[in-house]
Amino acid sequence: MEFEALKQALIDAAAQAGIAQYEIYYMETAESSATTFQHELKGVSSARSGGICFRCIVGGKMGYASTELLEADEMVELVSRAATAATMIENDDKVFIWGGSPTYRSPEAAKPMAEMPTLTKSALALAEAAYAADARVTDGTEATAVTEEVTIHLVNSTGLELSNHVAVNAAVLEAIVSEDEEKQVAFDIAASLDAENLNALAAKTVGNACAMLGAGGIETGKYNIVFSAKQARSILSTFSSVFSSKNAQQGLSLLAGKEGEVIAAPCVTIVDDPAHPAANAHTHFDAEGVATARKNVIEAGVLKTLLYNLQTAAKAGVETTGNASKGSYASPVGISPYCFCLEAGEHNLDNLLAQAGDGIYVTEMKGFHAGADAVTGDFSIECAGFRIEGGKLGGPLKSFTVAGNFFSLLKEIAAVADNVEVGFSGGFTCFGAPAILVPGMSVAGK
Amino acid sequence: MLNQSLVAEVLGRVMRGGADFAELYLERTKNHVIEYVGGKIERIDANLLSGVGIRAFCGLRSVSASTTDISRAGLLACAAQVGDACAEFAAAINAPADIILTERRFGDIHPVMIVPGDAQTGRKIELLRTGCTAAKEHDGRISQVKGYLLDVDHQILVANSDGLFCEDRQIRTRMAVTAVASKDGENQSGTCSPGRRMGLEVFDLFDPVEIGRHAAAQAITNLGAGYCPAGVMPVAIENGFGGVIFHEACGHSLEATSVAVGASQFAGKLGQKIAGDKVTAIDDGTIPNAWGSINIDDEGTPAQRNVLIENGVLKSYMIDKLNGRRMGMASTGNARRQGYSYEPTSRMTNTFIDNGPDRNEDIIASIEYGLYAKEMGGGSVNPATGAFNFAVREGYIIRNGKICEPVRGASLIGTGSEIIQNIDMVGQNLDRGQGMCGSSSGSIPTDVGQPLIRVSQITVGGR
Repeated sequence: MEFEALKQALIDAAAQAGIAQYEIYYMETAESSATTFQHELKGVSSARSGGICFRCIVGGKMGYASTELLEADEMVELVSRAATAATMIENDDKVFIWGGSPTYRSPEAAKPMAEMPTLTKSALALAEAAYAADARVTDGTEATAVTEEVTIHLVNSTGLELSNHVAVNAAVLEAIVSEDEEKQVAFDIAASLDAENLNALAAKTVGNACAMLGAGGIETGKYNIVFSAKQARSILSTFSSVFSSKNAQQGLSLLAGKEGEVIAAPCVTIVDDPAHPAANAHTHFDAEGVATARKNVIEAGVLKTLLYNLQTAAKAGVETTGNASKGSYASPVGISPYCFCLEAGEHNLDNLLAQAGDGIYVTEMKGFHAGADAVTGDFSIECAGFRIEGGKLGGPLKSFTVAGNFFSLLKEIAAVADNVEVGFSGGFTCFGAPAILVPGMSVAGK
Repeated sequence: MLNQSLVAEVLGRVMRGGADFAELYLERTKNHVIEYVGGKIERIDANLLSGVGIRAFCGLRSVSASTTDISRAGLLACAAQVGDACAEFAAAINAPADIILTERRFGDIHPVMIVPGDAQTGRKIELLRTGCTAAKEHDGRISQVKGYLLDVDHQILVANSDGLFCEDRQIRTRMAVTAVASKDGENQSGTCSPGRRMGLEVFDLFDPVEIGRHAAAQAITNLGAGYCPAGVMPVAIENGFGGVIFHEACGHSLEATSVAVGASQFAGKLGQKIAGDKVTAIDDGTIPNAWGSINIDDEGTPAQRNVLIENGVLKSYMIDKLNGRRMGMASTGNARRQGYSYEPTSRMTNTFIDNGPDRNEDIIASIEYGLYAKEMGGGSVNPATGAFNFAVREGYIIRNGKICEPVRGASLIGTGSEIIQNIDMVGQNLDRGQGMCGSSSGSIPTDVGQPLIRVSQITVGGR
């Protein structure tokens, strides 16, 4: 069934059940990709998935139900399941169905999705470019060209009707290089299938893998660390949940009650921008239908605001920041940033390395999902990178950890570079940061 | 779930494009989640997943497509999409041929006594409340408790052009409790999350009160703990979820996904000594009611018990059909996928290091100074380089052969091929822990496991 027919079936079922306040959230994702092995195509795939979530207020509580079985009978079941769920909720927080914001930004026209012949051609071209970039590129190197299209419809009982349609084309390269018995791997994504970008992606990724060949260990100790732009944004992404008002209200973020206080060094300003030009997908409304807007989260070290949705804002007595989010159609309404970006500082990267003097330039960090705890802020992460000697980059390093605490790190950032890079994201959330210098961090190595 | 003649027609449509193998995977999954936060039921969610994935092989190439439209027209459109894409790869277009399907029934070795379902919601709420309340009441310093009770009823149909037609129903239940302890502006957390391929009778095995207390006790232990020191040292890793070391350091690199394309550090090493003498490692999808168990894999191959490493010698990889073609080897019943929109590939089921010759007390006593990793968190690995990491959730310093003060914030890192040779003592208290493993075919339930082991040298990331 098409969305319009499903919507009508749900509206009818809600009326039949006597439900006056409800929201229908529909999300459909279409993804196609082509992947290589050696110089040939390994496979192509196309996946179409998606479903519908119905949530409603019954007795002051919000009940949810969701389905992928898009048939008329199931719509009746869906309304019934959501209404039943509402009767069992015990949380007393006030819940809302949004009547609409005064204004919304105009949605952007979605880029056209790449067709399969373009994907296969791009994947093969990327693989060729990777093998041509260096003779040490070896089997296991995988080039993928992918296109993803997401369609969202949000309709509610106040008459609000919103839609968004975004499409992203991307090239993904995992380059494996080998020399003697040693292998090194690098991975990168570019949000474009243009020939020039494919060549640049291949050169950059293969170059990064080759640069790590011959990496050695480093002695355990305290070091000045420069996190690359990519790793600074990984740290920001890992701990972004501490800026959620929901986590703060639930006692799961140490930023609870800190709005207006200094929580970071004066060189730290973090902005959340749903219309950031470098983000590859934008939305003009959040997962509750509220208009999205730019906001300073940290301004010169001071926490200006946490991120709110309607429920947490009402509880805190403030306005929502329009950060209600859903990971998939079935997810409950949570809170996420849009393009969450540590603003550029005044130093270039060389200057940052010079300020570090002796230390480590960290270019790879892995295992954040396990080695970092947003509740405590503690992290201990597997890293790779380069020695910094006399303010200049030295040889490659691997198999060491950097450990610290996110809340302390925010205050200890000594300098921020000017090379902001915004990461790729399939959804509406992405992160950006420049390189940062943090002195005296704990490193475990040899 | 679908009638055989329609499935045969769909597979026939795929084969017309010149493929030499076609497969249909139909899924209908009910996920129920009840979430508890701070003394109250926060969320009850009932989600129905429904869709089909169709796949074809043209030699070593695969073509796949998936859709939520499981009407006859939707299935045939999806089949045509795959079949027509095959025509780009295939040497010749196949003449239309009838696919003859034969239903096979593999039986269910995972009995379920109380199917969770909608009707049990009240009972599930009480079980979850009991666990979370026990965590809160364990200690006055417990400032917050979150928990969820998840049950999944996953029904699949797998059919292919070789004539296979089979179905399976997989029911799993899990409770997770996370407790946060707070003191002087500092938070520490503890968690406990057992699960089984069972219904609500799983809580006869795991008392919800014990689940809650376990999470709370871990948070309290960490609240009083100093940071783990950094450096290279011997580490004793406890049983159960400690087996994540094998899962990350070795398991992923033994999946055909990385072996077939030569990207694994263990490719081409069958029959060679790759681990310490005391290490025997097994992947066993046939353990009754275990979290990672299956009756059939997602290509319809019956689950197997595969000895991966025997006394340090590499005996087997974990193989799916497509990668098996590239390797010239048969499937080992390890093809798995999160759902219809993912392509299956070789994955682990219940993977563990078997009991060894050492007494557990001798393992602790043998360490003059090192770390006792009592409970582990998750981790990750790059199979090409073997570089892996995982987190220690609850750890203690060992001094002069005795377990001493708790330490927090540690991670362990290394290279799989080196670390597996550094496992030099293997104890006798084999147990398994439950996890969700993420890889290219999505997130799937797997058990990890081992008895207490000693790793003679490993880098401990602390401060």
